[in-house]
Amino acid sequence: MARVRKIMLADVPTLKKEEKLEEAARLLSKTENGCIVVVEGDTPIGIVTELDIVRHIAKGNLKLKEPLSKIMASPVVFMTPNIKLDEALKMIDTKRFRKYPVVENNKLIGLVTKNDVVHAISDNMKLHRAIQNIVLILFVAFELFIFLLYPPLINYLGA
Amino acid sequence: MIKAKSMMTKDVITISPSSSILEAAKLATSKSVSSLVVVEKGNPVAVVSESDIIKGVISGKSKIKDIMNKNFLAISPGTSFYDINKNMAEKNIKRFPVVDEGRLVGLITETDILGATRDFTRMHQTVQDIILAIFGIATAFFLLYFSPLKDMLFG
Repeated sequence: MARVRKIMLADVPTLKKEEKLEEAARLLSKTENGCIVVVEGDTPIGIVTELDIVRHIAKGNLKLKEPLSKIMASPVVFMTPNIKLDEALKMIDTKRFRKYPVVENNKLIGLVTKNDVVHAISDNMKLHRAIQNIVLILFVAFELFIFLLYPPLINYLGA
Repeated sequence: MIKAKSMMTKDVITISPSSSILEAAKLATSKSVSSLVVVEKGNPVAVVSESDIIKGVISGKSKIKDIMNKNFLAISPGTSFYDINKNMAEKNIKRFPVVDEGRLVGLITETDILGATRDFTRMHQTVQDIILAIFGIATAFFLLYFSPLKDMLFG
């Protein structure tokens, strides 16, 4: 089973907590991640998703002049790079977030999404299924041999 | 095979091209959806996602018709999971309004596709595990039956 490190996105958009939502919105529109990790030095302290910004807009704040610290989710629920994908999926199912910063030694090193984890597991399963298919074919071939070829062969040799 | 009908979200939230971005933001958050379908005379003409709303706000737009995006594909309830997945992977389409006899009946987003992928993977795996177990047991039985162990085990 692959680990989070293998599928995480290494290039995560980050901002400081003093920066304005406007800046986050601009950064979000340039990337496809759907979230910004708020950092202090290299340590992630919060996360701002597209949903958070849309919620903020829905309250009538169309200017987005507020600092990120006002709406960021903090503390962050993060993952470490060495957890296995099925454990990551279990964690995602219990925490119910979609995006998780990946942290090693208190440093932000990547971002992993629910999407990536589910698709990676599904791809892993494809390989697993291919192997199972081969084993299945061997079993079937063996049984064909036993049923169809073995008795006549024994008869022939016996006679 | 899984069809669009069983994957789709039935409560589609629609909006008209002349509505404001603020209305879209309010609608999306109050209904907890990430995409709205823009309809004209009952027909889906575009979609609006969270990121379209944000892009619209920072570029000073105010109407849905200025921010809506055409990156969607209308499908029928009978469209297969395989086709939807293929369109998503190859054409990067993430929203599929489901139209039945000219009526908008549902919407399939990445979340629905993800859920179906999980179900599909799990189901496929279980079926294959069972088949493998049956053949495995049969093979083990024959191996013993035709080997010198036969007399010991089966008398």
